[in-house]
Amino acid sequence: MTSEVFSGESYDGNAVGQSWRRANSESKVLGTFRYTADLPVPKCLYLGVHRASQPHASIVNIDAEGAMAIPGVVKVITGADLYDALGEKMLTGPAFSDQPPIAWQRVRYVGEPVAVVLATDLATARAAADEIYVEYQDMAPVLDIDAALEGHDYVHDELRPSVVFQDLRQLMGKRNTNINYEYNLNRGDSEHAHKTAATTVNGEFWTPPTSHVAIELFSASAWTEETHLELVSTTQTPSYVRQAIATMLNLRLNQVRVRTLGLGGSFGSKMYDRLEPLVAAIAWTQKLPVRLELTREETFVLTTRHGVAVSSRMSADSDGNIVAATADVRYDTGAYADIGPRIAAKSGMVACGPYRIENAKIRSRCIYTNKPSAGPFRGFGVPQVTWSHESLIDDLARELGEDPAGFRKRNLLREGDVAPIGTVMHSADFIGCLDAVTEAIGWNEPLERREGDWKWGRGVAVGIKAVLTPTVSNAVLQLNQDASATLLISTVEMGQGSDTIMAQIVADVLNLGPERVRVVNPDTDVTPYDTITAGSRSTYHTGNAVKMAAETMRDKLIEIAAKQMGVSPSDCKLTAGGVLSSSSQRLISLEDLIMSEFGAAGTTMTAEANFTTEWIPYDKETGQSTKITEHWFAGAAAAELAVDARTGRIRIRHLAVAGDVGRAINPALVKQQLIGGAIMGMGHALFDEIVFDNGQMVNGTLLDYQLPSIKDMPEKLTPIIVENPHRTGPFGAKGVGETGLIPIAPAIANAVRDAIGIRITTLPLTPERVLTALANQGK
Amino acid sequence: MNLTLNINGTAHSVDIVEGELLLDVLRRLGFTSVREGCGVGACGSCTVLVDGHSVSSCLTLSSRCAGTEIQTSEGLGKDNPVVRAFVAEGALQCGYCIPGFVMMATELLSENLHPDEKDVADHLEGNICRCGTYPEIVKAVLAAASGIPK
Repeated sequence: MTSEVFSGESYDGNAVGQSWRRANSESKVLGTFRYTADLPVPKCLYLGVHRASQPHASIVNIDAEGAMAIPGVVKVITGADLYDALGEKMLTGPAFSDQPPIAWQRVRYVGEPVAVVLATDLATARAAADEIYVEYQDMAPVLDIDAALEGHDYVHDELRPSVVFQDLRQLMGKRNTNINYEYNLNRGDSEHAHKTAATTVNGEFWTPPTSHVAIELFSASAWTEETHLELVSTTQTPSYVRQAIATMLNLRLNQVRVRTLGLGGSFGSKMYDRLEPLVAAIAWTQKLPVRLELTREETFVLTTRHGVAVSSRMSADSDGNIVAATADVRYDTGAYADIGPRIAAKSGMVACGPYRIENAKIRSRCIYTNKPSAGPFRGFGVPQVTWSHESLIDDLARELGEDPAGFRKRNLLREGDVAPIGTVMHSADFIGCLDAVTEAIGWNEPLERREGDWKWGRGVAVGIKAVLTPTVSNAVLQLNQDASATLLISTVEMGQGSDTIMAQIVADVLNLGPERVRVVNPDTDVTPYDTITAGSRSTYHTGNAVKMAAETMRDKLIEIAAKQMGVSPSDCKLTAGGVLSSSSQRLISLEDLIMSEFGAAGTTMTAEANFTTEWIPYDKETGQSTKITEHWFAGAAAAELAVDARTGRIRIRHLAVAGDVGRAINPALVKQQLIGGAIMGMGHALFDEIVFDNGQMVNGTLLDYQLPSIKDMPEKLTPIIVENPHRTGPFGAKGVGETGLIPIAPAIANAVRDAIGIRITTLPLTPERVLTALANQGK
Repeated sequence: MNLTLNINGTAHSVDIVEGELLLDVLRRLGFTSVREGCGVGACGSCTVLVDGHSVSSCLTLSSRCAGTEIQTSEGLGKDNPVVRAFVAEGALQCGYCIPGFVMMATELLSENLHPDEKDVADHLEGNICRCGTYPEIVKAVLAAASGIPK
């Protein structure tokens, strides 16, 4: 295994573009770094959660006598108790207000909280939860997408869209459906274009639900202080959580304080409503300090990645141009909608891929089932549709007898092209990414196809994703009299490196060296609103707010210095040594400048900035928008691998991954993100899969759920940074958190197709699945 | 019951409840490098060394550790060659699993002064890094080993 990522640190006055060492490296390696669960909180009662054993049932009776008899147990709370206190406001969710913190009247998935024990210690709370007995009246469960679409049984009696998204309001009160959202894209006449095309390929694709498995488990504590509620939680969305809890408890925003420290990974799991509604509802209604820590098994049923079925079709003319594409996308969102409706729209919309296609038709639906709720997961639903379009286009190229890379290249969107959704492309260099990965693995060099039982092949895939739009970011920058800076943002550091690169942006603008900028942990009493830390949006959005705040600070410093020196501001510039007047060659250090301005040591100057993006909502009938997104992520992957025809095992010799990041603020961290995404994508290609049996998750422990280990690494892994500066990115930069993951599974499957001549359409490519395919091939 | 645990060379007197796991006792004493990731010995993030051998502290009874020498990554100190190599190679992302890898690497280097890439992968296989820092971790362990005189 070889890769080159880390180039150490150096400072030449330009912080941006340098591979600064990751913030808090030493304490993270030593283990002294404080994560959220390590933040001191008042002495709390621990919560133990009794969970549903049935996928769909009404709750007839809850017998908590046995639990209450255990010494140390203080109380048992049910959904009915919370309903009595909060009414329907206890139902929360980012898109639909459909999820109670504790099941109320009815359970909708195996593992849903049914009753919660409050006890003086964690072990007692958990033991007592097992002593609760619930009588259920079973209802017919909706166990998969097909059953949900049949429409005999319904997970919810009626749809309850939240107030957050205007376009969901029309769905309020809709009954007799399991479909909570449907997005449609219609461009040109795809039916006619398919019919008259020279070549058409079809496919039925499936990606199973998977688990995020951030190694840090979830925890949350809540307590009341005088007139407000304090919440410490493993969340990547503190601003969202504050709003959600304030709405639920009917509090002013200044009555809810949400804090989080660094997270031990998240990948989309620690987002929106997780443990917070539960601990906040109990703490506020009972006026008791409470803490909830999940086990790994509980984490598995808390949230998952959507299982997705795609039926798709792609056609080309005799010159090898794609003329039509169709995709019917079904997202299995489980018992509660979470952000599924947005995923169905904003990810379903790229289901035809990043190609010039004049006739496109997409229907993308978000569907309730009686399974744990699916939510955001690195890629936000895009990897699942990429699995379809990148497998399908490979087949189309092969049908036409063309090189899969060359065929893609001819059809890929270029700068200035209009995407099938109707938006003009900018700063999304698919071709540059594709060229980079194919060159890296030696795509055009001869390949020994057979080696005993091993059969070799190569595959390639590209990926496209739109950044979440519209969103809001804010930054407050405090420059201290000693020329150190304190940056207040609500971006959550969870391994992506935001604390490092935001400091670099400030350092670059203000000419400060490493260690002079500290990023404050998110605290809604202190750090300003930021939509979410997710969707690879922080570098661009929060980065822009940070850069603007730093530039405002720079202008203020220059103005003050000019006044002090009696020169014009245009005569002054900020240098590493302070503010320099060109005409007089006088230099004032920042320390002296701030000291003389305020006449005291330890004083501060503050600058702030807001960065908000806008979009043009898509047309309801056609799904078209001339500005669907602020910008695009573009990536590509190529794999060279061998399949063992005896065992079905796959051995990857070289995996190359490229992403167009606009401009790399920190190249080493960008490469780590590309590699990390590729390894997670490799897991989705080969290992990751949640298995259900009649609604019961059967492999929800780390003994049973397989993840990539250090021994599963490709023999060679090559991350490649492609830089096409974005016209409004900070220094041209965009994010990269998801880019490396999106094209990996189809790149690997396309290489398997190349090696053994079989198109496998269901993930993951387990040895069993490969062997079965080989056996069927012989028949 | 009361127990004396030798942790990173210092004796700690601690009251435990029957059956209390080493993981929970260490965290209670403030050794935050020891972390529960799975509770079943499958992820490695709670790894400590007991008398020089790696154990999953989530599966280890604290009462069995009286009279042993327990090492956690905090105790290695910032000048430790493994710690320095992990920092220098950037072998971390979110950092949560890293102390477990550091302890496994420490054990490996106590048994095998000059491991190759395969030795490293074989020894660290039981630890999961979901951020996917494996390539840098291998480089860090090899770099730490290269500092050991042949």
